[in-house]
Amino acid sequence: MQPLLKLSSVNRSFGAIQALKDVDFEVLPGEVMGLVGENGAGKSTLVKIIGGFDNGYTGNYAFDGQSVRFASPAKAEQSGIAIAQQELSLIPTMSVAENIFLAGHNVPAVANKRKLVDMARPFLEEVGLDYIDPLSGVDRLSVGEQHLVEVARLIAHDPRVLILDEPTAALGEQDSIRILDMVTRLSERGKSIIYVSHRLDEIFKITDRITVLRDGESQAPRTADTLNVNALVELMLGRELDNMFPERRPKRQAAALMKVRKLWPDGLLEPVNFDIYPGEVLGLAGQLGSGSGEILGAIGGTHRTRSGALTLSGREFLPSSPKQAIAKGIAYCSDDRKLDGLFLGRPIRENLSSPALGSISKFGWMRRSAEEELANGIAEKFTVDTARLNAEAGVLSGGNQQKVALGKWLSIAPKIILVNEPTRGVDVGARAEIYQKLRDLADEGAAIVVASTDILEMTNLPDRIITFYRGMQIGEIGLEDMSAAAILKQITDPFDETNL
Amino acid sequence: MSTRAMSEEGAERDPGWASRLAAHYSPLVFILVLLFAIIFIYGMVTAPNFLTVFNLKTIIRDAALVGIMAIGLTFVTLSGNFFLLSMKETAALCIIAFAMAMSGGYGFELAFLFTMAIAIVAGSLQGVLIGLGGNPIVVTLGAAGLFFGLASWWSDNLVVSFRRPHGAEWLGTGSFLGLPNITIAFILIAITAEIVLRYTTFGRQVYLIGANRAAGRATGHENFSMAIKTCTIASVCSAFVAIAFSAQVSSAQANYFSSEFGSSGDMTILVIATVMVGGNSIMGGYGSTLRSSLGAIFISTVDNMMVLHGFNSGPRVLAVGLMIVFSIIVFALVRRGSRVQE
Repeated sequence: MQPLLKLSSVNRSFGAIQALKDVDFEVLPGEVMGLVGENGAGKSTLVKIIGGFDNGYTGNYAFDGQSVRFASPAKAEQSGIAIAQQELSLIPTMSVAENIFLAGHNVPAVANKRKLVDMARPFLEEVGLDYIDPLSGVDRLSVGEQHLVEVARLIAHDPRVLILDEPTAALGEQDSIRILDMVTRLSERGKSIIYVSHRLDEIFKITDRITVLRDGESQAPRTADTLNVNALVELMLGRELDNMFPERRPKRQAAALMKVRKLWPDGLLEPVNFDIYPGEVLGLAGQLGSGSGEILGAIGGTHRTRSGALTLSGREFLPSSPKQAIAKGIAYCSDDRKLDGLFLGRPIRENLSSPALGSISKFGWMRRSAEEELANGIAEKFTVDTARLNAEAGVLSGGNQQKVALGKWLSIAPKIILVNEPTRGVDVGARAEIYQKLRDLADEGAAIVVASTDILEMTNLPDRIITFYRGMQIGEIGLEDMSAAAILKQITDPFDETNL
Repeated sequence: MSTRAMSEEGAERDPGWASRLAAHYSPLVFILVLLFAIIFIYGMVTAPNFLTVFNLKTIIRDAALVGIMAIGLTFVTLSGNFFLLSMKETAALCIIAFAMAMSGGYGFELAFLFTMAIAIVAGSLQGVLIGLGGNPIVVTLGAAGLFFGLASWWSDNLVVSFRRPHGAEWLGTGSFLGLPNITIAFILIAITAEIVLRYTTFGRQVYLIGANRAAGRATGHENFSMAIKTCTIASVCSAFVAIAFSAQVSSAQANYFSSEFGSSGDMTILVIATVMVGGNSIMGGYGSTLRSSLGAIFISTVDNMMVLHGFNSGPRVLAVGLMIVFSIIVFALVRRGSRVQE
């Protein structure tokens, strides 16, 4: 079959950095092509070239058998190439139908709302949003639904190639499934799709072939069913990753470090009770909206709490601010590092020492040497380049940013470390490192509590799991019963057998 | 990967003094210094009176009052609490309070303490409201009206004067080793502020909270107390300027800082301009009081040169406006350029 889109020997450099080296990439008609690679491997550069955002490359780009060089994204769009970016470009105050026809293609000069609604319906059906009223405001949809509306808008232009750049990065399980279903449906209708993702389980689920980029070089595309997760990770890293997840050694100690009793964070349907043990990695599993993240926020003092108590070494308390939690040795790493995990414009050193100013100062005066010692120590532990500690945190890649966001908590030597979505938007290499660090911290005696919507992570990282479903605590799964199926059952459909 | 390799190469090469300087100071500082040099040389060439010791002293003395207020405001801006639009009204209230106390015969020390106490109350009041989540613009606009109203009411909108000789003369018109005391105060305050920002935990908290308030809260640094502290600092600096000015002219009126002051006539605008011309980030988290001090001297130099060339106040206000616009553009461009993503 003649490839619909084919790039051969594409090179692209920015200054001294060569982002792409002799990259070959092709997509067949009706094919779902997975594009994977670590952060900085060149995925986004390649996507930009394909979409006409960047034409400073050398090499050959053929579309539909014709050699092309798109001068602008608009030109690429006219040829039938559509890109759904990670950042949404919808107008929240306008209706779904209005957003779909925002660009104004194929819309009569004067169109009333009814007309727009009728025109929007088929596209909404195509992306699996047939249950949504085209007149409802975009801001009333979930993030996943908004992504689908964005895709519906692209499909309205009838593209031949659709590029999805990490469409599920910010989505929960339910919304992700919607996106995946849509991809399958579109490819059945003959559209070619380029699917860029960090979530390897998705890649295997929906792609026909996979192209791996590594340090700007492309590997020959492989058929998805000839690979498995470990083989793919090996291709991405160029080295063998024995196991992404560190070995688990269940060794629960007799006494609980913290007892969570009748804790009722805002957003949950009922109070929750559980114990946290030192040396253990506890997982709170649940989909988006299950409340697991809110529980961590409540213990960390950032999320509002109606009632309840935490007992830490015999003392009852309930933090009303992160400051109070920190004073008790509780560290909380939120799921949105850009929002409240990092000071992007400040040096990495200041980020790492930020929770522990008291310990690196004397009578209010900063002790520079103590700060440097502290920051160097953490940076070495988390393999952040110590030569760059004075660089702004904002210049780091996602994986390194997450390492800094998490690593800064080592500065207070916390007893309990709460981590919400430890590896969101983090590449595979850094991901394995973060898992290993969490395990090391547990081995050193800290209690680790991880909340995550990533099933792969939940199945393989924690020693024990507590499951949540729509704001309710469901059950507990020990190491011996841990499986993706068991967790999925409890977090997606827990009442199927028990109540009916 | 490749960037890391590059930075290691760079570290191995022995950097010359120029690149060491460049690594230590941002390009912004260079641009400011370069601009300053250009204007300085232009002044030397075109205005014969420009490069006289007397005139240089005048420049710094003129920069002092605005500079001190700008240093105070810089703390607010750096901590991400935007600007206090009540700077000149705080000064108005304080200058009336000081002159009232002086004319009441309480002496400099008591009048000074009384005025500072009022400034601390005024500043912390605004700080509490801002710290509780009030919009700084709305809160300080309201406070501005309140303070100015109080000052006018208290003084019946009249000039409050007190007779020479009085205990405040040393601050207003005195000098030490040939430098006016107010200039010395400006230099001392500038140095102290810079040391506090750079080397104390409080200074670090200012930067952290300013860079990202949510992350600051998450790491145990609350903006509530920060807003109170920084607003109080700004307010106290206003009060100091009010006292120094009143000491100079041995009188006070509520509208001294609205009509009779500086080239633009409006002290608040001039102070905000100074903070911005210095290149401090309006969003907080980036900048320094040193920048504001240099900004004050920069504006004062340009203003001085225009006076020497016989411009009247219209073009001089225009020049301040141009400087703000220009500095915002330059600093924004340079800052964007210095951020290279990994």
